[in-house]
Amino acid sequence: MNNHSGQKLAGKIAVITGGSSGIGLATAKRFVDEGAHVVITGRREKELKEAAASIERNVTTVVGDVSRLEDLDRLYAVVKEKHGHIDILFANAGAGTLAPLAVATEAHFDQTFDVNVKGMFFTVQKALPLLKDGGSIILTSSVSNVLGLPGFTAYAASKAAVRNLARGWAKELIDRKIRVNCMSPGAIDTPALATTAGLTPEQVEQAIAQFTTQIPMGRRGMPEEIAAAVVFLASDESSYITGIDLPVDGGMAQG
Amino acid sequence: MNRLTGKTAVITGGATGIGLAAARRFIEEGAFVFIFGRRQDMLDAAVADLGPHARAVKGSVSDEADLDRLYAAVKAERKTLDIVFANAGAGSPLALGEITARHIDETFDTNVKGTIFTVQKALPLMGEGGSIILTGSSAGTTGAPGFTAYSASKAAVRNLAKTWAEDLKGTGIRVNVLSPGATATELAKAALGEEGQKAYGAMTPLQRMADPSEIAAAAAFLASPDSSFMTASELAVDGGLAQL
Repeated sequence: MNNHSGQKLAGKIAVITGGSSGIGLATAKRFVDEGAHVVITGRREKELKEAAASIERNVTTVVGDVSRLEDLDRLYAVVKEKHGHIDILFANAGAGTLAPLAVATEAHFDQTFDVNVKGMFFTVQKALPLLKDGGSIILTSSVSNVLGLPGFTAYAASKAAVRNLARGWAKELIDRKIRVNCMSPGAIDTPALATTAGLTPEQVEQAIAQFTTQIPMGRRGMPEEIAAAVVFLASDESSYITGIDLPVDGGMAQG
Repeated sequence: MNRLTGKTAVITGGATGIGLAAARRFIEEGAFVFIFGRRQDMLDAAVADLGPHARAVKGSVSDEADLDRLYAAVKAERKTLDIVFANAGAGSPLALGEITARHIDETFDTNVKGTIFTVQKALPLMGEGGSIILTGSSAGTTGAPGFTAYSASKAAVRNLAKTWAEDLKGTGIRVNVLSPGATATELAKAALGEEGQKAYGAMTPLQRMADPSEIAAAAAFLASPDSSFMTASELAVDGGLAQL
């Protein structure tokens, strides 16, 4: 009889971008609990160090911005030196700020796509030489890859692009038995909404109330609930799954 | 971490193939499982294989009285129910031009009506933390030449989960669809032969058919708290068949 009670990622090397808070941090913790060693990256050194301290063990930090190719080169140089390879890549870094169509600037658009699409593209491309055949790549998209998101249209469009990257890459990497899947969180209780989305406290409260009515489960998700789904996609539990979009959204985008 | 310790599960179509693999997996993760199927000899063999945490009830999902007997047995021994894997399904090819009313009725009776009553009759035993998993199919998304009724019935199954997620709002019961692609069950292997299995494998991006245990692993994920923020969704376990 098989034993399914053991660690699901024992001995695996995982890279997580956007690893200093929210979904990335919760996933790093869960990966380590499942036996992995994680390398987390993020732009803010202080937050990244605090994240590593809260993960406690089997964690390496590299400060960097996924939209800067030289930062990605530095990230993977550290991974190569320390571990020699990657088993799991969780390309999770993303950005989205409020900018209604009428007032959105070119800088806003470029910044959103630089992080969410270009950053994602090169995060994966530059990982390929280190990725082991049979590895797993998980891309963070969003329910907004199918739902319109007034005020956040550049973000929503960039996340639709991410969903499509997973389709093409799943096919491109089949010969190496590397699986590529997309994971689409709905409204999740993370710091990002209040700190980086450019919303006033009032707007944050309104957004949360509105999400709650739109979600069949009647609540926002917790980062740990996303982490559990990412472990499923990262592990051999999903060995016959590639190219999918896994919505973890309490039903928000399913109706 | 045994994710299903102490949980009670019902698996329809549980004597063979995906259902049997899921029963095995759920029991390994700590659950007590009732399998439901039409053939007594297959049920007996399955229970002998599954061990003391399995029970079998003979019946057809298209017969409401049979489902009533199933849930009466669950209630009598376990009182409540945590997981329903509504997995029983039927599908045979019939070319467009040859389709009969009887063929459509038989397919929809099992796959759609059977799924609806499997779930409706389970609800009185279920509560907060419950998980319902419906077996869909990649054919529900892509269609499948020669399988008009089957493909349409599986598209209907995918839709049931969308409606029920709203209907079950506030109950703490989640409902999701698990959609396998080409899966190498004993029945499929016998029906397809070596050549047929190769052909199905070649159609799939991953270049092989699934092992039933791979579908079971995904069913265990949907059954467990690891998918606690998922409802109304479809999890494709299809080697990329309907995805790319």
